[in-house]
Order: sequence, then C-alpha cells, then structure tokens
Amino acid sequence: MDSLGDRFNQMTGKTRFVVCRLFLHLAGKEVAPLLGVLNSAARDAIDADGDIQVFGEGLAEICQSLLQYDVYWQSVANEGDVFWDEGEAGDFVEELFTDSAQRYHSGIEVEGLEDPNDVLSIPITQNLIVMLTVAYEGDVPALQTDLSNISALKTALKELINLHYQDRLRAVQVHFSPAQLGDELTSDQLLLHFPELIPL
Amino acid sequence: MNMLRRFFVYVMIFTLAVTTVACGSSSDQVGSSTNYSASRTSTAIPNRLSNGQYPVQQATYNDADGEYTLMLLNTKPGDSSAYRTTDLQMAQLTDEEISKGQKNYLKLENDQASMHIEKDFKIDYVHNVTEEKSNPQTGQTERVIVRQESSFWSPFAGALAGQAIGSLLFRPQYYVPPIYQSGGIFGFGGYGRTYNQSVNIYQERYNAPPAAVRNRQTVRSTGNLRTPYTQRPTTSTQRRTTGTTGFGLTRDRSTGSGYGTNTLRRSSSPRYRQPSSNSFGTSSRSRQPSRSSFGSSSRRRR
Repeated sequence: MDSLGDRFNQMTGKTRFVVCRLFLHLAGKEVAPLLGVLNSAARDAIDADGDIQVFGEGLAEICQSLLQYDVYWQSVANEGDVFWDEGEAGDFVEELFTDSAQRYHSGIEVEGLEDPNDVLSIPITQNLIVMLTVAYEGDVPALQTDLSNISALKTALKELINLHYQDRLRAVQVHFSPAQLGDELTSDQLLLHFPELIPL
Repeated sequence: MNMLRRFFVYVMIFTLAVTTVACGSSSDQVGSSTNYSASRTSTAIPNRLSNGQYPVQQATYNDADGEYTLMLLNTKPGDSSAYRTTDLQMAQLTDEEISKGQKNYLKLENDQASMHIEKDFKIDYVHNVTEEKSNPQTGQTERVIVRQESSFWSPFAGALAGQAIGSLLFRPQYYVPPIYQSGGIFGFGGYGRTYNQSVNIYQERYNAPPAAVRNRQTVRSTGNLRTPYTQRPTTSTQRRTTGTTGFGLTRDRSTGSGYGTNTLRRSSSPRYRQPSSNSFGTSSRSRQPSRSSFGSSSRRRR
C-alpha cells in the first residue's frame, strides 16, 4: 500500500531523502589508532564550520579506515528511514544526533584527584564504537537493508564513500566513543548504552 | 464466448489506460523535477492566494533565509497583499509581453510561484552582516546578525545575464543572487531548474555556499572537540575511565565526541511523525512485525 504511495511520489518527481544511522563496534587493543583518524577528521570538520564537503571528506576517510580494520569488527546495528519531506528528514537527523550524543559522556570532565600510585601509562581501550549518521538524496539499496553481516557492511561503507563523491550527502554526523587515547570503553558500558548491537 | 470477449475488451481498456497514465507521468518527470522544492520549502506564513496572475508592486529579498517578500496588487479582498516565499522562480518578460503592455507580474500555478519581471527590475535586497561569535555560556560559536544593510538586486541586468543563458532567461528558473556588494548587485550567482542546482552553480563560482544556504547549516558538536588541542589535559596524568572519578562517582559512560552538520531544511511546524513502512535496519526482524517500528534500537519512537 505504502509502496504505491512511494511509486506515486517518484512519478511526480519528488526528491526522496534517506536518513540512516550505522553503529559499528570494534574490539581489540589494535583499534586505538583509529581514534587518531576520528579526532583529526573531527577537528577538520569543526574548523570547516559546517561545510558539507569537508564533513563528507572526513566521513570518507573514516569509512576507509574502518574498512581497513575489518578484522576487528565485533558487532553492528543500523537503522534508518525514508522521507518525502525535507523538513521531516531534517528533524529526524537532529533527533538522531541527540540520541547518539546521550550514549557517551561528553560534559565537563571532573578531574580526578591523582592517585599517587598511578603508573605513568595510558590504558588502551579494548572497545571502540563509531556512530555514523548520514542523510542523502535518492536511493541506495546497499545502505537501506539489514547490515548485520560482514559483506553487507563492507558494501555499505563503500557506498557511504561513494555518496560523498556523488555530492548526494545532505547531512553528516560522526560520533565516537571513547573520545581519545587514554580513555576506555568497557564492555559493560557498551552493553548498557548500545543494547541494539548485533554480533557479526 | 461472449462473456470471454467482453472480459478481454475490459482487460485491454484497463491495460491501455494504465500504460497511458504511466507514460504520461514518466515523461513529465523532468519537467516536474522542479516541483519538489515547492514541497520542501514550507513557508512560515501560509500564503492563501489562489492560482492566477498578480501584478508585482515591490519585491524584497532577505539573504538571511533566502526569503522573498512580494507586494502584490489585485489580490482578492481578505487575502493579504504580501506574498512570502523561499521558493520563487523568476523569468524575464519577453519582448512580446512588453509590447502588449504587460507589467511585472507573479504567476501562481499549482503552488509554484514564478515572477516575471522586466530587465531592469530592482528587487530590494536586505543584506545581513553576520559575525561568528562565541557564546560564553556554551562555548560554542554562533553566527549572529550584527546589522542589516539594504541594497538592490537586478537579476537580469548586466552583461553576465544575457550571455550566459540567452533565451533561457524567459523561462522561469531559480536564481541565486551573486555575492553582495553595496550599491547594487547585477546579474546572478547561480541559476537552475531546481533550487539546489542554482546553489551548486553559485558554489562552483564562488567556492562557498550562498548566504541563505550557509545560514541554514547547523553544526553540532559534543565532547571537547571545540577546545583547542593544546589546552586539553594530558591524559597521562589521569585514569579517567576505570569506573570511578576522583570524587568516587561511578562512571557509567565512557567519554566520547561527536560532530555533525545538517544542510536539510527543518520543518517549520513540527508535526507528529507518521511512522512509515520505509524504514529499515537491523532489528526490524527482532520485533513484532508492526510496520511502524524499525531499527535495531529498543528506544521507542512513536
């Protein structure tokens, strides 16, 4: 029934907006270098002040790195929706940002009193979660499915890169936890705040 | 036998009708591709004007949000004479129309507005001078309007206009004003059959989005991404994630950062979002097959 409405909207030449979010959880001591990629992309993006091109480049870079770390992929989740109304899509993007942001601690750091027994070493995180949200025009079947298997996920990440080079991205969001080298994301925290993750 | 023949006739009629409709619509696709911007630009104040032509007395363009305000004549009693829209096509009056004595007019057709104006028509241009200011409370930079300047914009005047697209000027198209100059702007920064196309052309020319688009972009960020890197505490002196902070509080979340940009328009009147069957995701299989819910998250969205 609804697909008939879709067909009709397509025929009348309306633009279709897709908003989708992808969670990717990587596990292993070797994933920490990804934090460098994520943080440098974040700094470039913040400096660019909302230029979708720069955000897209950062996203492409992140996807590229994620693809190279495919051995460490642990679990995944994705969700999304298709809109025929730009306003609704825009609202949904903002909603997803808020939802992604509440899953980690981003407020002012309460500086801990230093423990004299502290050794001069940094804990290396075992887990890393990356949340990518994009909004794009048109239809990308590879992204709009269930991505809970490795080959589907690989195709999806490649499609995300392509979307940038096709200039079809309209909104980009990247969230990651932990924030930097030296912070840890434990498995408990992961279970608690990312219950939707599905093991690969 | 007769029955079968009649049935056959009906089937053929039906098929013919369906294929005719389908062909008609698909060939229309290119032409109507401009229409989507009509649906996506929901103006804040609903214009209650019926289809038709209205003489244009004055036009104003505000570059803060790209909104046109047109003062119209001959509107029906009870209707406002001001027409505000962000979705306006423009065209130059043809020589024929001018020789017939046609003046500047706004044509409304199926929610699509097009303004037909003379070559030297001046649109009042309200330029908003913006500045990046950092909000001391949140630490985030915001773009604020410092002052407004007024100027005028003649989309079809100037050498640029004539050479570039020739006769296309007489067909309604979207135009984006060129970069602001005090003392009048001539020509256009971008044009196209869709609003986005005109923005893209502007962007190619000036390497930056038009003011109206730039002001729509919102950047959000979380974590301490906005703090300069040198000012951040060095991590080697602290163990921040071992479960407790210095005050003995348990930390149930790890740290994280996020950032995002959104160039989509926001809906002017938030609506109850109808759940759609278009949604997709990993967890749709794990839940009951209600068409409304989707995604892997257990967070319930109505």
